[in-house]
Amino acid sequence: MSAIPFQGHRNFRIRLVLATLAGKPIKITKIRSDDLNPGLRDHEVSFLRLLEAVTNGSIIKISYTGTTIEYSPGIIIGGSLTHNCPPTKPVGYFIEPMLYLAPFSKTKFSIVFKGITSSKEDAGLEAIKWGLLPVMEKFGVREAALHTLKRGAPPNGGGEVHLKVDHLIPQPLTMHALEMPKIAAIRGVAYCTRVSPSIVNRMIDAARGVLRGVGVEVNITADVWRGENSGKSPGFGLTLVAESKKGWRFIAEDIGGPGEVPEDIGVKVAYELLEEISKSAVVGRNQLQLALCYMVIGKEDIGRLLLNKEQIDENMIYLLRDIKKLFGTEVYFKDDDNENCLVATVKGVGFTNSSKKIA
Amino acid sequence: MEQTNKAHRQSGERNTAKKKLHQGGHNAKAFAFNAPMKLQRAAMRTNDVNEKKLHVPMVDRTPDQDPPPVIVAVVGPPGTGKTTLIKSLIKRLAKTNLNDINGPVTLVSGKRRRLTIIEVGNDLNSMVDAAKIADLVLLMIDGNFGLEMETMEFLNVAQHHGMPRMLGVCTHLDLFKSQSTLRSSKKRLKTRFWTEVYQGAKLFYLSGVINGRYPDREILNLTRFISVMKFRPLKWRNEHPYMLADRVTDLTHPTLIEQNPNCDRKIAIYGYLHGTPMAQANARVHIAGVGDYTVHSAERLPDPCPTPYYEQKLEEIEREAAKAAAAAGEAVVKTKTRRKRLEDKQRIIYAPMSDVGGVLVDRDAVYIDMGETESFVPGEERGFGEKLVTGLQEVTKSMEEMFDEGPGLRLFSESKELGSKTLAPEDSDDEAGLLSELESEEEEEDDVARVNTGRTSMRQARVVGKPLNEEEDNDMDSDDFNDEEEESRAKTEVVDFGGQEELAYASDSDLGDDDFVGAATRLRGSAQRKWNLSKLIYTEGLEPGEALRKWKQEEEEEEENIEDDEDDFFQKKETAASNADLDTFVPFFDDLQTLKEKFTTEAIEALKSRFFAVSKKPSGEASDDEIFGDFEDLETGESKKETSSSDSDADSNADSDDFADFDAEEKKEEEEEEEEEVDQTLTVDEKRALNAKKKEKLRLQFEAEQGDTFGEDEGEYDTWYELQKAKMAKQLEINKAEFEAMDGSTRERIEGILAGSYVRLVFNDVPPEFIENFNPKYPVVIGGLLATEERFGYLNVRIRRHRWHKKILKSNDPLILSLGWRRFQTLPVYTTSDSRTRNRMLKYTPEHAYCTATLYGPLVSPNTTFCGFQVVANSDTTGSFRVAATGIVEDLNSSVEIVKKLKLVGYPYKVYKNTAFIKDMFSTSLEVAKFEGASIKTVSGVRGEIKRALSKPEGHYRATFEDKILLSDIVMLRTWYPVAVKKFYNPVSSLLLSDKADWKGMRLTGAIRAANAIATPSNPNSAYGKIERAERRFNPLRVPKAIQSDLPFKSQISAMKPQKKQSYMAKRAVVLGGDEKKARELLQKVATVRKLKDEKRKAKKGEKFQEKLKKMAKMADIRTEKEKERKKEFFAKEGKKRSMGSSEGNSEAFGKKRRAY
Repeated sequence: MSAIPFQGHRNFRIRLVLATLAGKPIKITKIRSDDLNPGLRDHEVSFLRLLEAVTNGSIIKISYTGTTIEYSPGIIIGGSLTHNCPPTKPVGYFIEPMLYLAPFSKTKFSIVFKGITSSKEDAGLEAIKWGLLPVMEKFGVREAALHTLKRGAPPNGGGEVHLKVDHLIPQPLTMHALEMPKIAAIRGVAYCTRVSPSIVNRMIDAARGVLRGVGVEVNITADVWRGENSGKSPGFGLTLVAESKKGWRFIAEDIGGPGEVPEDIGVKVAYELLEEISKSAVVGRNQLQLALCYMVIGKEDIGRLLLNKEQIDENMIYLLRDIKKLFGTEVYFKDDDNENCLVATVKGVGFTNSSKKIA
Repeated sequence: MEQTNKAHRQSGERNTAKKKLHQGGHNAKAFAFNAPMKLQRAAMRTNDVNEKKLHVPMVDRTPDQDPPPVIVAVVGPPGTGKTTLIKSLIKRLAKTNLNDINGPVTLVSGKRRRLTIIEVGNDLNSMVDAAKIADLVLLMIDGNFGLEMETMEFLNVAQHHGMPRMLGVCTHLDLFKSQSTLRSSKKRLKTRFWTEVYQGAKLFYLSGVINGRYPDREILNLTRFISVMKFRPLKWRNEHPYMLADRVTDLTHPTLIEQNPNCDRKIAIYGYLHGTPMAQANARVHIAGVGDYTVHSAERLPDPCPTPYYEQKLEEIEREAAKAAAAAGEAVVKTKTRRKRLEDKQRIIYAPMSDVGGVLVDRDAVYIDMGETESFVPGEERGFGEKLVTGLQEVTKSMEEMFDEGPGLRLFSESKELGSKTLAPEDSDDEAGLLSELESEEEEEDDVARVNTGRTSMRQARVVGKPLNEEEDNDMDSDDFNDEEEESRAKTEVVDFGGQEELAYASDSDLGDDDFVGAATRLRGSAQRKWNLSKLIYTEGLEPGEALRKWKQEEEEEEENIEDDEDDFFQKKETAASNADLDTFVPFFDDLQTLKEKFTTEAIEALKSRFFAVSKKPSGEASDDEIFGDFEDLETGESKKETSSSDSDADSNADSDDFADFDAEEKKEEEEEEEEEVDQTLTVDEKRALNAKKKEKLRLQFEAEQGDTFGEDEGEYDTWYELQKAKMAKQLEINKAEFEAMDGSTRERIEGILAGSYVRLVFNDVPPEFIENFNPKYPVVIGGLLATEERFGYLNVRIRRHRWHKKILKSNDPLILSLGWRRFQTLPVYTTSDSRTRNRMLKYTPEHAYCTATLYGPLVSPNTTFCGFQVVANSDTTGSFRVAATGIVEDLNSSVEIVKKLKLVGYPYKVYKNTAFIKDMFSTSLEVAKFEGASIKTVSGVRGEIKRALSKPEGHYRATFEDKILLSDIVMLRTWYPVAVKKFYNPVSSLLLSDKADWKGMRLTGAIRAANAIATPSNPNSAYGKIERAERRFNPLRVPKAIQSDLPFKSQISAMKPQKKQSYMAKRAVVLGGDEKKARELLQKVATVRKLKDEKRKAKKGEKFQEKLKKMAKMADIRTEKEKERKKEFFAKEGKKRSMGSSEGNSEAFGKKRRAY
């Protein structure tokens, strides 16, 4: 089988993950080839190592310059291991792709990730816990949990997180989400490590001030970490989750950077949550990738997902093209009654978890 | 006085208690339980029976609209009447006679059913392939022989590939002379068949052959049975697309074959698709017996054998179209009407490789059957046409050569010859033209049309970056845009979606306000064009940003971009993009200021439709207070106590929920009131209609609420089974509805090519042997591959030697597996699990038990069953049962952990108290170091441990034991040695051979040894012999006197003194005398006499027995003689019959009938 070619460093993780699920070898070329510092970054290499650890028989070839990699996937075996994440990326960067693989492995996933637990660009712990795991649950993965053992704010980290997925499923359920879910409550967590606990309350107040107008219950928990479990650096952040009664969630999160005021963070996250809600239908933009991939690897039936037209952005087009290259599946878009919305119709590829042992 | 009679009592009065009991309709007493336990047991049994009927609910993915033909495989040993049966069926169903049946024959058998009938030869490869695809198997059984070896083999193969429906067909029943034997053998056969298939399996009996066919009545019954048969979906076939090839053609360009007869071929395979839909592009398939291929192109063709039902539907569609056309005022095209009954005309037969009707036309070729007479024989031409052709056949020189040699070319027999001279100058010009090869096609056409007088105008060269022909480009590109997916990015940029005049402006877009743009639009003409989102997304060359812009119809930006593109085509790429992190989780958000501006109170108000609690009146501060009463003080009062806030939050949660409910309820009440008002004014019918409407609305609402769960709570369905069934049905409904909403090409792209459609698959690079040695008698099966099935790795399988296979299987001996679509030879290693701690290698499969095996090969998802053979070649078949092993895939992996037991033996050469020095176990101290601390054991069972290597004699070591060991002891170390499974995979490429039944792979170890006359190696140490142990004699323990006296009392050796006096018995001697002596003498005499008598009797008996033996021997001789005669007679007759029926090519291998067990 000849490797499927890809170019550039975009969607690096999802390409590798989808290749693993599809069982097809891929070749990614021109990874930051015209950059001053060409080739793979630390965290990408670290991710490759993680991928190698959770699979058996994978072959990864990285070119001398690091601008080309060839990956021929093996069988997902899972197991319990510890992964030390490099300081350039938080643990969320590594946990997120594991969510695609974990339910389809030979043995249960139980991975302890060590490193930074939050950043501005990548998934924070709460975003995974309250945003991505519920989406997986919708697809039939029930016993997935993320335990925060220690929090570690950037830049020094020192956090520790335990991802445990105890449910091995043959294939995801077929999704039919055509109703715009109504949001019943907005919840959230404001956390801080090694700073004054009042910072948390300032974030909460600011966020609540913005969200007062929407007229649903707003419940933001304060989560102050002290002592040795609070990592090596001071930091704070806020994650807001808008949840519907049927279990769909929208998330927005941010952390305090250097020189940022907690009130600003609170206000910003609250507005971003509103923006996210206004720009999405059933799932938010950051959950869309997971939802679509799970739909693609489903049974050979039609699954449907309501999308907001705003959700069709460049990232999504790149994702859909990657999916087509790897699985040969196209997503069909159908107009919905609601003129802002589209229905994405996906026929699953009939994937089955072939690595799981019988009886 | 008048007589008073007793008043008449009516007989019909029912006033007794007993009668009253019967009046109520239900007689309770009659149905009372007599024996409750019995009832319970009966109920339990009914439940058991019902439960047994259930199968795991499985989605049936065959389309119900136009299902593929049912594949009927006719299987049986040679001479059982397979061809006769097929001919009879064809005659019955299609009313035609086929003399030479080659390959599958497709027939219409009913309004909605077609049959594809194949005859299965008796080589294992055909049987295996047929078992994988057949929906129905007609198992031909010779009534005189019963189930034969081939039948049993097929049954066992089929069982492990998902057991298709089986119908037994018993033939040759006219050979029975007496009715009673016929009856008894029928019964015997039936019970035997039932044990093999299932209790109650249908067995048909066909009596003799009339006019080369079976009796019509019996065949009619059989076809009726087939045409109402239902099929259950089989797991493997429900997950894969597959196809039985109807026809194979070679599409390779003849010149390529001429240049190299052994070049790889391009072939087209035709057939009906079965199973799941096949991907339209680049589907990976396995051609059984050839190999894995990518489908180069898959194309749907019109159905050559449509069902009457399908035709009728087409008809209806046509009629609708005609009606619509008539309504529109167009001329009506007349269509012929068909009757609804199955006519003779509709009894279509399609057998492209057989000789139906004599002519066959299709896309690639036309085939004409000329019959017996030979045509186009030079010298014997019939007519002018043939002469022309034979004349052409004779030509040995090319045109050019003829020009060079002869006087010139004569186009017609009477015309003037054209000289070579006149052509010469033009020729050279032409050549130049050919060389340049850049001329457009129209030009070439022009050149041909005119007399070539050379070029008159500038040649139009095709330059990169500029369209060839301006005006053509403009009207072409806009509609061809979608077809340009495959073209390179550079190309699409050049083309720049030229039909901008056709690009639409959204009528409501605010961009249209721009005067300039509006004018431009008017200028260019404003035909609306809505971009297809899917097309935009999946156009590879199109940048996603560009695609989005097109979709959102933001023209003005685009124009700017195009200008930019033209100017800065070779601009340096920005490196900023490559620096950006393109693999993040957090989506793009506008900055805070923009967001703040966007979400004004009105915007939030608008967003409230997305939230549950929508406040009724426009909310000022006051209403906020009402709703969030608890929040108020917290927000204003600079909250400091975290716990209280969360508590109050919980409260408010409850509050808000209540509020929402109240709100909804209020609404509902209002509605109800309205309805009531309406009710009073309505008639009954209207009310009913309204009620129905309401119900429907409720149902829809319920469904919507349930969403993906379809009423998961089991209230609606009695059992889980029913619920699952309902779920599947609903999902199928959704699939159907969704697919039907798509247009044809989209549907095919997304769903794939449906089962039941007739397709032409083109393959590149197929070995030439496939075409050259093609034999339609062997089925060509094409099976779709899933992603896992293309990977290679180790399969852990549970395997068992078939109990009818005569030999046990040896590890690392090649085994041919039929797993998935593939047949391949591999080297399995048999293992067993040692109490789950390790997988220990076994040399041989255990008897009558499953073991695990690890083998290398293409991965197949777990839970797939398979069967294995040692040989498939008919020439190597010995006559015994060929299915060697059966099993199921348990697990896939990329590495293996199998160990083999290794016993290392050493000898003590110096023994101290608990320590001993051991030699001969290892050769170096390094080895010893590796095993330091390992436990060892002597033969006598004394346990010990390896301590340390000795420095001096290399490989010797010191060990300690729990007790002192003997110098004569043997010390053993038990370890485990890893075993590697050889990566050997040899696909059975039987279809490439000229003799397809004779594929030979790697030979078995035993076969190689036999061929080379190598004795089986045997270690003399491993041989069992009689163990002779010399009795060990130990000297008595002698303790020196000096020591003895010093011993403590406890250890004193106490021995008795030797006896000095004579004992009582020794002192006395007993002497017989008197009566006693006489009596003894007498008894002795009597005994002697009796013994003599007995001896005499025995001798006599022996004589008699010898005589009897002689007599018996004589009788036996006579019997064997008779037996021989009878056999001779029987086989003389039978042999004749068999030689008649040996039209099958494969029967030579089975010259002798092989009888099943």
